[in-house]
Amino acid sequence: MRFGALVKRDVLVSWRKKSNIYQPLVFQLLIVTMFPLGLGAGAQTLAKIAPAVVWILALLSTLITLENIFKDDYEDGSMDVYVLSGMSLPLAALSKATAHWLTTGIPVILFAPVIGVLMHLPEQSYGVLLLSLLLATPIFSLLGTVGSALIVNIKNGGMLLSVLIMPLLSPVLIFGAGAVLETTLGNSALGHLLLLLGCTILTLTLAPIAAAAAIKVNLE
Amino acid sequence: MNRLLKFYHELGSPPSFYRITSHWLKPMLILAIVFTVYGLIDGLFFAPEDYQQGDSYRIIFVHVPAAWMSMFIYAIVGVSGIMAFVWRMKVAEAVMMASAPIGAIFTAITLLTGMLWGKPMWGTYWDWDARMTSELILLFLYIGVLGIYSAYDEDPRKAARLAALVAIIGLINLPIIRYSVYWWTSIHQGSSVSLMGESGIKDWDMLRPLLVMALATKFYYIYSMLNRAQTHLLKTEQNKNWVKKALIEVKTDVQPGAGS
Repeated sequence: MRFGALVKRDVLVSWRKKSNIYQPLVFQLLIVTMFPLGLGAGAQTLAKIAPAVVWILALLSTLITLENIFKDDYEDGSMDVYVLSGMSLPLAALSKATAHWLTTGIPVILFAPVIGVLMHLPEQSYGVLLLSLLLATPIFSLLGTVGSALIVNIKNGGMLLSVLIMPLLSPVLIFGAGAVLETTLGNSALGHLLLLLGCTILTLTLAPIAAAAAIKVNLE
Repeated sequence: MNRLLKFYHELGSPPSFYRITSHWLKPMLILAIVFTVYGLIDGLFFAPEDYQQGDSYRIIFVHVPAAWMSMFIYAIVGVSGIMAFVWRMKVAEAVMMASAPIGAIFTAITLLTGMLWGKPMWGTYWDWDARMTSELILLFLYIGVLGIYSAYDEDPRKAARLAALVAIIGLINLPIIRYSVYWWTSIHQGSSVSLMGESGIKDWDMLRPLLVMALATKFYYIYSMLNRAQTHLLKTEQNKNWVKKALIEVKTDVQPGAGS
């Protein structure tokens, strides 16, 4: 099936390039070192801001990769082929998001506990941290396809991409970091996680359509 | 009904939009100036003092109308964005791109006057209150629409369609953002000071200047938006015949005036 073929090709390209995969992780590691240096290494100080830091790092490190989702395809003409092949464009966008999630989202999820340990995140929070990122990283990738499709034609569009995506991600950050925060305080995070799940489903249904619309405008 | 329908269709075509609305500019500007002057004088000098906040509450005569406009204009940007994207109406593109900067400025005015008011009242310029935060995010949404439009300067129609897409996405997300921010503040702290929540204004002498100012901002918006939309149309349609005709008309209108 074309969906599977496209995902397979994109994952392969990322795998061969490697930098796509480890770049966000190196970024996270670099930034997380700055927190103790700037704040003081007190375990209690760090633990207090740990939920927010782990979450924001996951978000920012994904954000720097989003620009490239459609960039290469637009430049080498693959994007025209998607349109000409008669494949439904939302499906193509969904496959790009899936490939991005497989190569960036999953490493970011798996790396989050490492950042958590470095930030002295309390032990009871790791399960919810992983779960919240599992629900949220698809949103990053999906909104990323929309943002990337909007800016493919623009030079140095990275900053613009952040401006376009940040307002849309603020609810995700509120629910996701909020869920982890609740567990550090010993409360149930169920409410936050359900709201996050709602955001995931909404994005999954609407983002591919928006991305397809942006591709169409750009290729006209 | 027939005339109304005809009027509606006429507004959709750039030449007749230009022709019809050029008669509206002056009255709208005059109305805006008259209402602003009356509203400010009435609000700043004659409205009674607030029993708690004294004179410093008077900033609401600027702040609240600007806040209303900031949201109202985003709704217009979103709806004209849908019209521009679905039906590719040039006039809708012009209205959208003309409205966005005005809305952004009103949002900035809202934030700025709120901060100035917050310093004496709350003792701080900024507090991450739900309303302030969502207003700030609204400003980002405006900047996104304006940013993507200005990034595509070589093809204004394509740029307008992408900006319309951004505006539509923002319109869908606005309620989600607003509610999430409200819930977020209720999680972190007890609801902090709300701007008008405690009582609402009951005194007619206070309400009157507020409503007058609200009307003044509406008239100013209509004036400024039409003016910008006309310029937008002249610019994007510069090779069309009607633009040449319209510009010649302006010239011949001016010359006898300048001569006499």
